Amino acid sequence: MDEKEQFGEGQAARRSFLGCLGTAVVGGAAAVAASAMLSNETRAAAVDAPPVPAIPGYDWSKHHWAFGVDATKCIGCLRCVEACKAENEVAPDAHHFRTWVERYVYLEGEDSARVDSQADPVNIEASGSEGKYRFANRYKDAKVDKAFFVPKLCNHCTHPACVQVCPTGATFKTDDGVVVIDHTYCIGCQYCVQACPYGARFFNEALKVTEKCTWCYHRITKGLLPACVEVCPVGARIFGDRNDKQSPISEFIKNNRVEVLKPETGNAPNVFYVGIDKEVS
Amino acid sequence: MPKHIVRLILLIVAFGVAVVSARNFLVDKSFYEYGHYRGNAVAEIARDKPKYQGTTYCQSCHAAQFAEWSKGVHDRTDIGKVVKCEVCHGPGGGRDPQQGYINASTGPIHPDNLKLAVPTDTRALCTLCHEQMPGRPLQQAQIVIEDHAGAQQCTLCHNPHSPRMIFGSLAAPAHPGNAAAGRDKIDMCASCHGAEGISAGLPGPTLAGQNEAYLVEALKAYKAGKRSNPMMTAMAANVNDGDIENIAAYFASLKCKRTVNAADQAALARKAGASVCTNCHGANGISTDGMAPNLIGQSKDYLANALKAYASGTRSNVVMFALTKGMSDVDAEKLAAYYASSSCK
Ligand code: HEC
Ligand code: HEC
Ligand code: HEC
Ligand code: HEC
Ligand code: HEC
Repeated sequence: MDEKEQFGEGQAARRSFLGCLGTAVVGGAAAVAASAMLSNETRAAAVDAPPVPAIPGYDWSKHHWAFGVDATKCIGCLRCVEACKAENEVAPDAHHFRTWVERYVYLEGEDSARVDSQADPVNIEASGSEGKYRFANRYKDAKVDKAFFVPKLCNHCTHPACVQVCPTGATFKTDDGVVVIDHTYCIGCQYCVQACPYGARFFNEALKVTEKCTWCYHRITKGLLPACVEVCPVGARIFGDRNDKQSPISEFIKNNRVEVLKPETGNAPNVFYVGIDKEVS
Repeated sequence: MPKHIVRLILLIVAFGVAVVSARNFLVDKSFYEYGHYRGNAVAEIARDKPKYQGTTYCQSCHAAQFAEWSKGVHDRTDIGKVVKCEVCHGPGGGRDPQQGYINASTGPIHPDNLKLAVPTDTRALCTLCHEQMPGRPLQQAQIVIEDHAGAQQCTLCHNPHSPRMIFGSLAAPAHPGNAAAGRDKIDMCASCHGAEGISAGLPGPTLAGQNEAYLVEALKAYKAGKRSNPMMTAMAANVNDGDIENIAAYFASLKCKRTVNAADQAALARKAGASVCTNCHGANGISTDGMAPNLIGQSKDYLANALKAYASGTRSNVVMFALTKGMSDVDAEKLAAYYASSSCK
C-alpha cells in the first residue's frame, strides 16, 4: 500500500522533517565531537605550561597572597575605610563597606564590650557626612577599663562558603588566593551574602550585584599594595606574598602568634590577626 | 527495530545535541578554563586603574614638600609609621566612570585633569589621628583638642609636612655671643633689669636665663624701631651692633631658678585658660624646647602689656597675634596673673 495513502499529507511532512532532523543530528554531533576534540587538543598542548590569565607582567601561579592585621597598632583613624571607598568606587554612604573598623570598649563594671563601627549614627554625626568617617570621642568622660580598634575585611578563605553557594560561578577563588566576583555573571541572588560568616559581602542596589573586598586585585597584580595598606599610617595592616619568605606577611606570621576569626566555621581565613580579644569574631 | 522506537531515539539525541550546542553557544568560552568560573573575568578584574599613586609619584614634582616631609615625623619608615601625601590630599589618580562593571583602565591623573585639595580644616584633619581617645594605643601622640589648641587650626603652629617644626620657633643666633665680653657692656642696663638680670619690681622685665636668640631679636627690634618703648628704644640705640650677641649671651647665662614645677602647675594652668600657652611657654613659664621666650620672673603688668601689644599689632608675631586677637582684657589679665605667679628664686 502507498504510504501516502495510508498516513495522508501530514505524516509525509513529519517524515521529511524527521529526515532533516536526522541529518542535523548527525551533523551537529560531528560538530560537537570536533569541538570537543579540538579543546582536548588545546588542553593537551598546554599541559607543560598551564594557562594563566592574561594580566600584563603578572603570573598568578607565582603568588600566594595573605593579609595581616595588628590590632594593637590601630589608632582608629579610618583612613583605610575612606581609601578603600575611593579606590574601589564604593557607594559613599554609611551602609556599604568593603573594609571597616570596629571599636570595642569595656566600661568599668561591665562584662561585655560595647561595639561600634564608623557606620554608627553617633560617629557619622561626628564626621559630619556619610561619605567621611571618624570615631566620635563618645567615651572620653566614661570610666573605660579597656578599649581597642579592630580593622575588618574579607578573609579570602581557603574554603570559602560564599563560593560554594554561588549558583552561577560568579564568585570564585583565584589561583593566587583571592576571592573575587565576576560582576557580569553575578545575578544578584545574594546567597553568598547569607553564606559569609563574616558579613564581608553586601549588595550593590544600584548595579544589582554583590560586592566585596578584592584585596585590590587591580593593584596587587601591578606590584602595588591594597589601598587600605598603602594609607595606614601606623602599619596596622600588613599585606604580602607567602611564597616570599621575606615578605611583610611572612615575617608577620612567623614573628607573631596569629589567630583567625571564627576558625570553627571551617572556612580557613587568610587574614591573620594579632591583638584581638575574646569578644572579637 | 520498530520505526517508532528509532524515531524516539532520534528525538532524544536531537534534544541532547540541542542542549549541548545551546550550552556551547551561551556559556563563555573561558568558563572552566581555570575552574568553575569565567576565566577571562580574572584579567578583567585586574585591569582597573589604580587611584593611589604613592609618594614617589608626588616627589617628582613637589620636591620641596617631599623633602620637608621625608625629614619629618610623618615619614618614619624606620618604625613603620608613615603618613603619606595622599592620606591628607586624597588619591592622585581617578578612573573613568563606565557603565556597570566594565573595568576601567583609563582615567584622569593629577595634575592634568585632577586637582588635589589643600586641606584647610586641619583641626579636623590632624585630630583624626591625634585626638586623645580611649582605645588609641599610647604610642600614638594624642592631644585633648581644646586644651592643646584652643580654637586654633593646627597649622598655626605646626607645619603639616614636618609637624615637629613649629612656626615662629627661635633659630639659634648666627654669631654665637661671648658672655664674658657681654658682662662689660651691661652697666647701664642693671638699673632697670637688675644686676643679676632679675627684675623684681624694677621697670624692665627679667632677662636672666632668657632664650639667647630671643634676646638678640628683641634688641635688634628695638634698634630697628619694630618694637618700641620710651625707655628701651633709647637704651637700645646706645648698644653697638657688635655687642648685641655678647649681651644676649651674658643675660642668657644668668640663672633664674624656677620656684614651681611644670607638672604641679598643669591643673592651675588649665583653670587660668593657659593650657594652650603651655605648649610653648611651659606650665611654669620656662619654654619647652626653646620654642618661645621664657615668661618666668615677669611682672603681671609686663605680661599683660605684651599680650595687648600682640593683639593690637604693635608687637608682631604670627602665633601670638592669632592667640591674642579678640582676647578680652579680663582674660589677658588672668593669663598674666597666672604666669606672674612663677618667679625666680
Ligand atoms: C607631574 C607633576 C606633578 C605630580 C607628579 C604631582 N603634582 Fe601636585 N601639582 C602639580 C602642579 C603643576 C600643580 C598646580 C596645578 C594647579 O594648581 O592646578 C599641583 C598642585 C598640587 C596641590 C595643590 C596646591 C595648591 O596650592 O593648590 C596639591 C595639594 C598637590 N599638587 C599634591 C600632590 C600630591 C599629593 C601628589 C602625589 C600623589 C602630587 N601632587 C603629584 C604637579 C604635580
Ligand atoms: C598630615 C597631612 C599632610 C601630609 C601627609 C602631606 N600634606 Fe601637603 N599639605 C597639608 C596641609 C594641611 C597643607 C596646607 C598648608 C597650609 O595651609 O599652609 C598642605 C599643602 C600642600 C601643598 C600646597 C603648597 C604648600 O606647601 O602649602 C602641596 C603642593 C602639598 N601639600 C604637597 C604634599 C606632598 C607632595 C606630600 C607628601 C610628600 C604632602 N603634601 C603630605 C597636609 C599634608
Ligand atoms: C593619618 C594619621 C595622621 C594624621 C592625619 C596626622 N598625623 Fe601626625 N602623626 C601620625 C603618626 C602615626 C605619628 C607618629 C610617628 C611616631 O610614632 O613617631 C605622628 C606624629 C606627629 C607628631 C610628632 C608627635 C610626637 O610627639 O612624636 C606631630 C607633632 C604630629 N604628628 C602633628 C600632626 C599635625 C599637625 C597633623 C595635621 C596637619 C597631623 N599630625 C596629621 C599620624 C597622623
Ligand atoms: C630705663 C630702664 C631700662 C634700661 C636702662 C634698660 N631697659 Fe631694657 N627694657 C626696659 C623696659 C621698660 C622694657 C619693656 C619694654 C616693652 O614692653 O617693650 C625693656 C625690655 C628689654 C628687652 C626685651 C625683653 C623681653 O622679654 O622682651 C631686652 C632684651 C632689654 N630690655 C635689654 C636691655 C639691655 C641690654 C639694656 C642695657 C643696654 C637695657 N635693656 C636697659 C627698660 C630698660
Ligand atoms: C606656638 C608657640 C606659642 C604659644 C602656644 C604661645 N606663645 Fe607666647 N610667644 C611665642 C613666641 C615665639 C613669642 C616671641 C614672639 C616675639 O618675638 O615677639 C612669644 C611671646 C610671648 C610673650 C612676650 C614675652 C616677652 O618676654 O615679651 C608673652 C607675654 C606670651 N608670649 C604669652 C603667651 C600666652 C599667655 C600664651 C597662651 C595664650 C602664649 N604666649 C602662647 C610662642 C608661643
